[in-house]
Amino acid sequence: MKREVAAEIVDSLKEAGVDFVATLTEANLHDLVIALGEDSAIHHVPVTREEEGIGICAGAYLGGKKPAMVMMNAGFLLSTNALATVCIHPGIPVLMLIGHSGGVGEENAGHATVGALTEPVLQAMHIVYEKVGRFEEIRSTIRDSQMLARSSRRPTAIVLNKQALR
Amino acid sequence: MKRYECLRAIAPHFGDELVVTNLGAVRHEWQALRPHHGNYHLQNLGLTSSMALGLALALPHRKVVAFDGDGSLLLNLGSLATIANQHPKNLVHVVFDNECYESSRGAPTATAGQADLAAVARGCGFGKVLTAKTLSEFEDGFMRALKGGDLYFIHAKVEVGAGDVPAAALDSQENKYLFVRYIERSENLKILTSTLSRASDDKK
Repeated sequence: MKREVAAEIVDSLKEAGVDFVATLTEANLHDLVIALGEDSAIHHVPVTREEEGIGICAGAYLGGKKPAMVMMNAGFLLSTNALATVCIHPGIPVLMLIGHSGGVGEENAGHATVGALTEPVLQAMHIVYEKVGRFEEIRSTIRDSQMLARSSRRPTAIVLNKQALR
Repeated sequence: MKRYECLRAIAPHFGDELVVTNLGAVRHEWQALRPHHGNYHLQNLGLTSSMALGLALALPHRKVVAFDGDGSLLLNLGSLATIANQHPKNLVHVVFDNECYESSRGAPTATAGQADLAAVARGCGFGKVLTAKTLSEFEDGFMRALKGGDLYFIHAKVEVGAGDVPAAALDSQENKYLFVRYIERSENLKILTSTLSRASDDKK
């Protein structure tokens, strides 16, 4: 991810009211994770496993924060039970920014299956999501996805494709 | 000692502390001993410590107590590393370790073997780790943690067995709304969004 893309995401999150972010990094998310850690307006919690981050975000919401979770799609797949039991069942929102490895443009064969499963699993969980690839889409998509998460009291997701991640 | 005896000994000392309980009998025991809108009964095995961390970071001036179990924490050992690095001084993480999956008919957990959760907590960077094997050790240690201004990990080695309490009427949605409304009132916060009517839109 280019630094200007990371900066646009951080700025858009703040404009959408997000003040608490849990992250699990990956090469494509590195600049975003570093930028979040350097921003004093956002409490940044690097986690050891993605479902842990979902629990932390849910607790932060109960305490009045506006949380988001940054992770790759492998971590989203790992978090499905946490999302179902901790967020969707009681009605707790969390905005998820999900890096999409294994999508179109992927050169690593090892990511193909996780890439193909990501959208069907989001759909199976009835999680509303938007796919983002172009710089100009970032700000409005973050604003609108956060709006829906808060009003519907459900998790929402933004799937960042290879174009956005590079 | 049994978990219920531990909870019964400390319940009278609670005021406005926020509590996150693990799945299993502990939620019914605690709700019977301290019925309060500041109790959040998590419907998930594993994330008790993480929910409590998020809450403690969001509200650093409120004391947050997690009543966790060995089976739950073993699912989420990495949370100890995250908690120790964040180091919220308002969090007390209690683990009732009965060395088995009691609510799932009692098969042994890893702590029945070689695993020592207090050692894991120390290794992850918790500075204040207490192990209690008797009721007085637990009560003394917990009260020190409750009154102290630091992050604590309390490892309570307990016997198997649940307290003789009625099943709490715990509905996850109801629990969430009661808890959030309590936080909104006690913290003067607006958490649940409301929809503006068209009439109020027009006045903008």
